[in-house]
Amino acid sequence: MESKNLKIKGIEDLSAGHWLLELENSFSEKPMPGQFIHIKVAPFFLRRPFSIAGCDRDKVTILFRVAGEGSQVLSHARKGDVLSVIGPLGTPFPLRRRWKKAFLVAGGTGAAPLFFLSGELAGQKKDILFFYGARDKSNIMFRMLPAGIDFIFSTDDGSYGEKGLITGALDSCLKGGFLPDVIYAGGPRGLLKEVAGFAEKFCIPAFVSLENRMACGTGLCYGCVTKIRTREGWEYKRVCKDGPVFSASDVAWEED
Amino acid sequence: MLRVKIGGLALKSPVIMMSGIFSYGEIDLKYLDYSQIGAVVTKTITLEPKEGNPQPRIWEAGSGMLNSIGLQNPGISAFVSRHLPGIMERGVTTIVSISGQDSGEVVRMIEILLREGVKAVEINLSCPNVHRDKPMVSQSAEMTYRLIKDSKSASGNMLLIAKLSPNVTDIAEIAVAAEQAGAGALSLINTVKGLCVDIEGRRIVEGGYSGPPIKPVGLKAVYEVFRKVKVPLIGIGGIEKGRDALEYILAGASAVGVGSGFFSNPGLPGEICSAVKDFILANKFKSIRYIAGLFNEKEENSSGKKKRN
Repeated sequence: MESKNLKIKGIEDLSAGHWLLELENSFSEKPMPGQFIHIKVAPFFLRRPFSIAGCDRDKVTILFRVAGEGSQVLSHARKGDVLSVIGPLGTPFPLRRRWKKAFLVAGGTGAAPLFFLSGELAGQKKDILFFYGARDKSNIMFRMLPAGIDFIFSTDDGSYGEKGLITGALDSCLKGGFLPDVIYAGGPRGLLKEVAGFAEKFCIPAFVSLENRMACGTGLCYGCVTKIRTREGWEYKRVCKDGPVFSASDVAWEED
Repeated sequence: MLRVKIGGLALKSPVIMMSGIFSYGEIDLKYLDYSQIGAVVTKTITLEPKEGNPQPRIWEAGSGMLNSIGLQNPGISAFVSRHLPGIMERGVTTIVSISGQDSGEVVRMIEILLREGVKAVEINLSCPNVHRDKPMVSQSAEMTYRLIKDSKSASGNMLLIAKLSPNVTDIAEIAVAAEQAGAGALSLINTVKGLCVDIEGRRIVEGGYSGPPIKPVGLKAVYEVFRKVKVPLIGIGGIEKGRDALEYILAGASAVGVGSGFFSNPGLPGEICSAVKDFILANKFKSIRYIAGLFNEKEENSSGKKKRN
């Protein structure tokens, strides 16, 4: 983790209030899929955490949706502006040589870290099926989809792909006997919880990217904790430092 | 030039990473220059483990934030076995923050820490996030006196720092009680009790308020307390740039505590050292000792003496 002032190399208005922000990559440590960066958006006091949606030697990319004042102000940033950034932070998605076939399951902007992951997995010649659900067609970020990967889409209103939740498409696939070696998921808590249920039922290792309000982003303050199973029950673990990626079977979903 | 002494504890810099913003001091922050830090105060430890408060624990409010962590910690035994060895090895002066439900608990923790070679503890008498319905110890001069007095009798040469709440009628009265009971230094101030209304979520969010807006509250506390006591003060509250810390020192603080301002400005410890050094040099003082309380006066009945260059 480093603290850097990074220049904005590009900012692009995608559809439905989504923005793509490209920052120069001067991190000495290579950002990994699943990690995030903590950005100071003046004049707000707290930094904002953003999953890394893509990364190469020259730039680090984030995808965000305008949801509050901080993201609103960030959407007005311009190419050439400099942002104070701490990163890369958090534990990445685990990768194993023996996991040759991967399902990626994404809902809404929770897809951001999975775009980065899919590129990485494709580079390792893994067999990938990417389940991508959104509210409607305008909320699907076509600009972010890496080439050469198979997708299954769903939208709540049926305006693109299957109508309904993406977990429905995942369920049909698993029930049909098409089982991956590993599942990676990002998105709303309800989606992640359902994915965890499928993973348990079909005995497939699964990893979920959790989100929470954060202050420090680096494990110092214990503000972003979530309930993680222990032998006796559960304990609070930090999303920023112990996560944001957790094994789906470790999350105490039953305590929601 | 920046070396300070807090009740026998020699610090290489006046910058102290305050309790709650630095975990147990065990995390290696590669972007932090540890040579600029005088001491680290751990997250508050209690006798038994504490799971802490439910979410939301963090809430941005104006130019500051509310926190309601609720003293999540593994308890003193696990702290001593799991965290303490690592932080002692790092070589940064470590002050262990402790809190107990009564004197008995605090005394037991002091005895354990004394055996482990801990040189200083900060007794948190002012957490706003546990037992919101009960008064905090530092809201009563009598309770503060009794708890510090009992702690003192068990602490040997260990430095006892009392951390006080701004949520009182007269903080100087509490400070005097803590000093008379044997506190060797005072940390002023803890967070200010606050509340936000989450309209969309249809709920109330409570916690301790920190950040730049509380700086005048902390400065006023340091200013008032400095006049009445002789023990050194650690000034805390709303420090987000170097000059803020200098203001605390000129008002009467011997050292300064960095809190949530560190999250937005990781360069803060270095900026504080530079700002204090620049002032000392520009005004031809020899060291920081001579500017602590420069813009303030001790009252005659306090035994502290104003230092001159």
